[in-house]
Amino acid sequence: MRSLSFVQRVCLDFTGTLFPHAICLGDADNDSLNELVVGDTSGKLYIYKNDESKPWMTRTCVGMLTCVGVGDICNKGKNLVVAVGAEGWFHLFDIAAAAAKADSSSQTDVDEQKPCFTQHIPANTKVMLISDIDGDGRSELVVGYTDRVVRAFRWEESTDSSDLSGGQLVFLKKWLLEGQVDSLSVNPGPEGLPELMVSQPGCGYANLLCSWTQEGAAGPGEDASAASSSEGPSRDLILHLTTGRIHNKNVSTHLIGSISRGSKEDDSKGGLFALCTLDGTLKLMDSSEQLLWSVQVDHQLFALQKLDVTGDGREEVVACAWDGQTYIIDHNRMVVRFQFDENVNAFCAGQYACKEGRNSPCLVYVSFSHKIYVYWRVELERMEPTSLQRVLEERPEYTDLLHKLGVDPSDTDAVRRLIGDVLYRDSEKDKAD
Amino acid sequence: MLPDTRRSCPFAEDSFSRFPSQSNMYGLCQAGEQELLAATLKGKVVCFRYQDLQHKIRPVAKEVQFTYIPVDAEIVSIDSFNKSSPNRGLVVGITFIKDSGDKATPFLNIYCDYEPGSEFNLESIAQSCLNLELQFTPFQLYHTELQFEEGQRETVFLLSGHDQRIHLYKENASLHQFEEQPVEKFFPELSELPSNVLWMDVLSIDNCRRLTTFGCQNGCVGLALVNQRGPEIVSSWRLQQDSPISTVLLFPLKLPAHNSSKAGLQADEVTEYNLLVTSTIEMAVVYRNVEQNGMSKPVCLTDSDQCDAVLCALLIDLDFDGQQEVLLGTYGQDLLCYKFQQPNGTTEGQFQLMWRRSFKSPLLSVIYLDLTGDGLKELAILTIKGLHILQHSLTSTADLVLQRLANTVAKLSTVPRDQPITDQDAEQKESSLKNGQNTSVS
Repeated sequence: MRSLSFVQRVCLDFTGTLFPHAICLGDADNDSLNELVVGDTSGKLYIYKNDESKPWMTRTCVGMLTCVGVGDICNKGKNLVVAVGAEGWFHLFDIAAAAAKADSSSQTDVDEQKPCFTQHIPANTKVMLISDIDGDGRSELVVGYTDRVVRAFRWEESTDSSDLSGGQLVFLKKWLLEGQVDSLSVNPGPEGLPELMVSQPGCGYANLLCSWTQEGAAGPGEDASAASSSEGPSRDLILHLTTGRIHNKNVSTHLIGSISRGSKEDDSKGGLFALCTLDGTLKLMDSSEQLLWSVQVDHQLFALQKLDVTGDGREEVVACAWDGQTYIIDHNRMVVRFQFDENVNAFCAGQYACKEGRNSPCLVYVSFSHKIYVYWRVELERMEPTSLQRVLEERPEYTDLLHKLGVDPSDTDAVRRLIGDVLYRDSEKDKAD
Repeated sequence: MLPDTRRSCPFAEDSFSRFPSQSNMYGLCQAGEQELLAATLKGKVVCFRYQDLQHKIRPVAKEVQFTYIPVDAEIVSIDSFNKSSPNRGLVVGITFIKDSGDKATPFLNIYCDYEPGSEFNLESIAQSCLNLELQFTPFQLYHTELQFEEGQRETVFLLSGHDQRIHLYKENASLHQFEEQPVEKFFPELSELPSNVLWMDVLSIDNCRRLTTFGCQNGCVGLALVNQRGPEIVSSWRLQQDSPISTVLLFPLKLPAHNSSKAGLQADEVTEYNLLVTSTIEMAVVYRNVEQNGMSKPVCLTDSDQCDAVLCALLIDLDFDGQQEVLLGTYGQDLLCYKFQQPNGTTEGQFQLMWRRSFKSPLLSVIYLDLTGDGLKELAILTIKGLHILQHSLTSTADLVLQRLANTVAKLSTVPRDQPITDQDAEQKESSLKNGQNTSVS
């Protein structure tokens, strides 16, 4: 297995403790560059920008923050920062407006620490997703709970109001699952419509159906909305158990969907999603439940992300273990390993504008030693170890040039001598004197 | 800290192998064409190479069980060479200290297989061992090629020790084994040393002469120009620096010929020999044109003292322009690259810092060899935590190769018919020279 050591990293100060989902990368202030958003168990929200070790902005929330997110939750074409606490407090922050205000006036207002909107939703939150789940082009908020419940909300506001105070979250639907929900994700189905997926223990997953969209489609005889709660679970979710070597049916499982295939036409075939378990199983599947590959490792995988490290538009699967071992796997099952030298409290991967004023692929590790390490420019020319001859063989003019020089392209020794000669002839000549 | 350099390192890491125990600055060597050996302190030797499987290559780091290395041994140094023609075979030397509790005993093991067909098979070489007990603590194990008057060549081991001496081990062809020979007989310049030698280097130059240099623990640097016939010392120089010398390396540089030089000749370039000296505290220094000036013309490598002690150095042509660049590996976890700037009327030739690359742990040793077997060499870097293999950017190197191949083709098509044949002869001569070189000084 190919193993690498990344070295370009910055170290950020973070003194708190956090839940594994209270960290995310996103464009919090709408400047097209991504920031790092972290929430801790005392309700503090930290936003880090570029390579500054101190947070660029801090905010105070109510309760223990379990999940943070960045997204256009109000559908105003502008990203907001969302922080949800275990006690059920939902907070919205308009960071772009706050940043503009801070620029114009030097004195800091105590009120700025406060969120621009709060609302109480059911408590015991665990995971959160901001995404379009029903295919209407507008974002919804999906929250997973520690009691195996998933709830969907939508931001609605009266038409005449211009600011956030006129709106609120409206409850859409509740799903009850059999096992713990460790991840929420959306994946484009075979028809291109988003499908909401949740992970289920034992390397399983479930598709959650948005019944409010089917109401119209369903025949009048089938009254979906009136279905009693006892019938509900069988109708509005489809449970899938993947086959293979699963040692423990209750093992914690993570899932990530919408893994880009790299080209438009391939994307139309439906999305790819990946699963990982704490006992070291990794799987990549497509939306028609076809298994692309499965990898077994002997590390406890607790976080699953996607990241394009080769810059070809195809996103690689990134899985991290508690002991810092990180796997980057492409669609062809090429594995690159990286060992982060500490135990990991929380992990995320994505684009972050760490240096040079542009987004680059980054791996973010929260350690247990009050530090967050951001490995920036995690870029590889290719996933596979390759020799120069392989690269040359892909060039159209290469064989032609070899023929003109009277070298047989299949004679590796002669080709090797020729290339060595072309590159090093001048410098070796002196030494041979 | 160093100032930021404008350029970035042109290498990308291709693989990293973590080692169970750390190594030291004498712990890495090339073994054969496409393999390298790394010795770790706890008596383990790892062979690293790229395996070619169904048109795919993958890195393999495998432990080689060298016989007669006890479990409680600590390896000090490792070196290997191909025997000079007409002899064939790979020779591996390993020095270690066996510490059985009461008394530490140093040994030199020399591995070499005389069985026809298995002279280059590492597995069988590792099983045939000559075990020599040493009376001194070993340091650097080095090899160099001797040239005799009759034109014969033979490669020998040189081993420096804490007894302020350098010991020579030469093969006794009739007995099929190596034995210690007086070093004065072959290297008169290496007798009567001022201190323990930490690093030595020998470079053969024209007219059957050689330059020999050594750096000592007490900061002394020795340099000698020797006529290999005899051998006889033509001139020798000594210099005292203020801290232990980590490496000394001799290397050529090409300079535009001076108008005044009587040897102006047809060539528009002259080759001069330089000496790189790195020390543990002071700046690294290049002594220019040592053949004529001795050590009287120093040029400092600015900021090379800013990353802790320089532990290893290498001279390679990493931008394929025919001129060698200086690579320094430091305890401060940085790899520094300096490039020679040609003098232009007003300024003397300078070495300018081109780029730096950080690593996860201190750098111990660095070599440059073709591991992937494609003609392009890779940079192997031994750090305290393991072995890093850095590869040139394949896309840009492929562009360069295609461009140069196209140039060669264009040249071939413009010259008259009979010309290519002589051209080819020259090419062959060059490559045979080069092959001869591979087995001699590194």
